[in-house]
Amino acid sequence: MVDVYWFSEQPYGHVTEDDLAPYESGRMHFPNTNFDPEKAHVLYHNYHEQYAWADEVGFDGIMSNEHHSSYWCMKPSVNVDAAVIAKVTKKTKIAMLGNVIALNDPVKMAEEIAMLDCISGGRIISGFVRGTAVETLHAGISPTENRERFEEAHDLILKCWTTPGPFRWDGRHFPHRMVNPWVVPMQKPHPPVWFPGTGSPESVIWAAKHGYPYMNLGSLLDLTKQLKSIYHETAHEVGFEPGPEHFGYLMRCLVADTDEKAQEIGRTFLWTENHRNRGPIEFNDPPGYQSREAMRIKMSRPLIGTGTMGRRMSYEELQEAHNIVVGSPETVIKKLRYVKKDLKPGYILIYGNEGNMRQEDVMRSIELFGTKVIPALKED
Amino acid sequence: MTTTQRGNKSTIAVDDTQVEIFSGGSGPAVVFLHGAGGNAGWQAWHEELAKDYTVYAPSQPGFNGTACPDWVYTITDVAHFNRTIVQQLGLEQYILMGSSMGGWVAAEMAAMCHHNLRGLVLVDAAGIKPGKGEIAEIFMVSAQTRLKQRFYDPSQVSNYERYTRPLTPEEQTIEHANREMASRLCWRPYLHNLSLPYYLRKVPTPTLIVWGRQDAIVPLECGELFQQALPNATLKVIEHCGHAPAIEKPQEFLHVVTEFLSGLR
Repeated sequence: MVDVYWFSEQPYGHVTEDDLAPYESGRMHFPNTNFDPEKAHVLYHNYHEQYAWADEVGFDGIMSNEHHSSYWCMKPSVNVDAAVIAKVTKKTKIAMLGNVIALNDPVKMAEEIAMLDCISGGRIISGFVRGTAVETLHAGISPTENRERFEEAHDLILKCWTTPGPFRWDGRHFPHRMVNPWVVPMQKPHPPVWFPGTGSPESVIWAAKHGYPYMNLGSLLDLTKQLKSIYHETAHEVGFEPGPEHFGYLMRCLVADTDEKAQEIGRTFLWTENHRNRGPIEFNDPPGYQSREAMRIKMSRPLIGTGTMGRRMSYEELQEAHNIVVGSPETVIKKLRYVKKDLKPGYILIYGNEGNMRQEDVMRSIELFGTKVIPALKED
Repeated sequence: MTTTQRGNKSTIAVDDTQVEIFSGGSGPAVVFLHGAGGNAGWQAWHEELAKDYTVYAPSQPGFNGTACPDWVYTITDVAHFNRTIVQQLGLEQYILMGSSMGGWVAAEMAAMCHHNLRGLVLVDAAGIKPGKGEIAEIFMVSAQTRLKQRFYDPSQVSNYERYTRPLTPEEQTIEHANREMASRLCWRPYLHNLSLPYYLRKVPTPTLIVWGRQDAIVPLECGELFQQALPNATLKVIEHCGHAPAIEKPQEFLHVVTEFLSGLR
């Protein structure tokens, strides 16, 4: 059985290639004078409508995330978005992928996620992420500290959820002499924890060592299978047998009434793609952001393919590789069945909206997922 | 500026850490601390100074592929570590010199203890927050931007192609490690310690502050603030010069430094 989740980056779709071209990077350098709050108000409303509709038509869950200084993701707080999801939906799981815990006070993170779990009636899946390096730079924190801050924040959040307060935490980065969060999660011992990644084996190993499900965010299938085998190897080393419930896969996917129409709408998945993470390596992979251990693993495990949403491949090539799936319900069912058979994921995460796609097209896609695609995938 | 082979590279054990040191010459000891870009090795100006002084140029912990003790997280930690290096070298009296980040380390060391210091030389030193301007961003910018910031006029830099040619894989590894270490030490607060000017008020050591007038990384204003903080300091400004006077204006640089050092003898 596979569970299907809806996801939107919530892009600020009014940005064009021409707007971005003059700047050294599409993130830190692209000035926020290009942001119009009035337009954002309309967009947020649309995105929340998509959430409610996805819940109604039968998606199993909704995934959300967080990015900073990015025109293609208007969510600087996944917890704020999760609060909205909790209120506009009734049944779906809420998968936060996730909180950038290295950059925030872990006690407040633990409290907020616990609050969301209570509000939603125990529907929270709490993903923890290291974030792209830009998240760390934007927070004013040295990239060399991200990994150790992440580890400490993770341990403290788990302790907040599982150890009665008050207690003391003598950490290097987040020292607290009195920890006693009043709000604790509804799910016991705590909400499920997921860990996402693109191409880094270190992320896979970390997830497997903790027994957390690993969500691959749109790497090509061959690379994803290699990462999955690393997960299996590590799981066996630490002593558990992973099943489909330990593995999810995010893909760009859109359904329309006809293949022709879907092909036309789906082209927007490549919206400003050349600019999205463009910038000097000092933004995307600054020295120290990856640990020496991560570099060593990378060197010792040559991986094929790409972990970066398949950039520099054409629309047609990406479809050929099942990295973008668009079409009529019949076409999409056929292709998703292929991915399901190939990867055996417990979760398929649908990246279903991009750029300036029209709201009615996205809403129709959600509907066709709910009425045709998801039931077909569940039948298998 | 070319690297000569005359300075000896050696390794000494400081507590449990191996420290790489370039040294040469004879006479009173001069300890030189490099900047965030790493240790460029034995330089022509080291060789000049080595005619009258014993010059020591240690690689700072974690730089140039050397080890870094786990406890070294801040420039203050680096200063303590360097004090142990100096002890290990057995230097009773010495002149302490530092450039850029190394100038900051030198100032912190002087603030910790000045009794063994015959003189202090700070060259375009980081460490003090400017009041009006700001210290330029050196981490979240491209290599091209960093190079542009460093020199006022590249035509004044001999062997400029050394800075523009592609790095060998070994050089890339070292540069990566240097930038990682500099990020760890200098990120926040950014290349300064708010308390440093107050520490320095109690440092009577004769001090020379050397600054390139057009320093585009640490503005000249910081040199003036060092001079105001230190009770016995002279500021020498080198005209038409950026952040690295030893490279961009080697003769003027050596002249002001040797003049100051002669005055200490």
